[in-house]
Amino acid sequence: MALHTLELTLEPAAAAGPVKAPTHIGVTGSSDLEVLIQPEALDGKVAVKLVTPVTGFDPLWERVLRKFIDETSLSDTRIEINDNNATPAVVLLRLHQAFTAANAA
Amino acid sequence: MSNWQNLQPRSFLEASARDRALGLVDEGSFTELAGPFDRVTSPHLELLGDAVAFDDGIVTGIGRIGKTPVFVISQEGKFIGGSVGEIGGAKMVNTIKLAIEFHDDLVAKHPDLTDEEKPVVVISFETGGVRLHEANAGLLAHAEVMDQLQKARGKVPVIAVIGSKVGGFGGMGFVAAATDAIIMSEFGRLGLTGPEVIEQEMGKEEFDASDRALVYRTTGGRHKYIMGDANFLVQDSIEAFRKQVVELAPLPVSDFEAMRRIGSPETVEKQLRLVALAAEMQPQDAVDVWAKAGNENAAGLLDVPFAEFMSTVKRLAV
Repeated sequence: MALHTLELTLEPAAAAGPVKAPTHIGVTGSSDLEVLIQPEALDGKVAVKLVTPVTGFDPLWERVLRKFIDETSLSDTRIEINDNNATPAVVLLRLHQAFTAANAA
Repeated sequence: MSNWQNLQPRSFLEASARDRALGLVDEGSFTELAGPFDRVTSPHLELLGDAVAFDDGIVTGIGRIGKTPVFVISQEGKFIGGSVGEIGGAKMVNTIKLAIEFHDDLVAKHPDLTDEEKPVVVISFETGGVRLHEANAGLLAHAEVMDQLQKARGKVPVIAVIGSKVGGFGGMGFVAAATDAIIMSEFGRLGLTGPEVIEQEMGKEEFDASDRALVYRTTGGRHKYIMGDANFLVQDSIEAFRKQVVELAPLPVSDFEAMRRIGSPETVEKQLRLVALAAEMQPQDAVDVWAKAGNENAAGLLDVPFAEFMSTVKRLAV
């Protein structure tokens, strides 16, 4: 059973622009994940690539990611995630952590 | 990226591999090589359907301590127990190789280089050894790291720092033992077969891995320091480890040869005397050996504060 890859392109309701600097956050520990987030011209969209051992939760991933993008109004940004069975709350936490770190740099 | 100043007083035990790498060298001097943005993940884990990491659980890079170029390798225990597979192993091997090549280049171009201007390698161990998912590649990586350590010997000092949650066990316990100098904190653990594996193979009567006091007085920093398996014992903070590395970095390579615990006829003789002592003593517990080393209140050494331990402890001489 190979790893499950999910690729999504999401459009924010209101575009506030990309993150400032390419940033890496987190460790793919048990029930945790790591995030790479970087600015990239994507016609105002956000491209997400997710790699996870978990299958059957694609709609939930999409809802969590959409919530994050709506909360931050992120646009023109590429997000890559290596997940290791993190819960939605942890996913959202790490995404916000990455967002904060990428804009603080 | 973490703030260097804030990192210094932080617990080494709880620091991530990247924070340790960043904090051990001078402020702002760390450059990561083959980092997460290079996205070199394990092809084996992917096939097995196991989670991957952008850095394969090992941080490698170059920094500076004063005038000394420092090649850093730092293992992340939270990713599959810091296990070493093909990618992470290759990162370790090539970092040491790079240090040796850099040294040779530098010495060829500048024959009058001082000792403090020559490179060193620092390895922050946090691993149980081979990643069993990619056993052959992982084992090969161990052998290749050993090979590089031998090539570095007498040229580029290799310093092991051990004070992270997982400790340094398995094949990487051998690798740590083969470095020139070992710095530990009392929370650091070093060994070959880890406590849980001993219990699994030999039974709970032989070794109770759930007895943390037993685990620490057998594999922990205080015991390793008394036994001479660790050269230096420091407090559990990034700055304490850094301070010790700062002291070692400018030393001539011959000084490091004297710190080695294995790898010469003299050290082999010493190890054999230790084996003879063990056969004669038949110690039931690490504390028996501490008493043999001349510590009157051996059992008390377990609990005394760090400073008192350092000022009163007698190390085993054979």
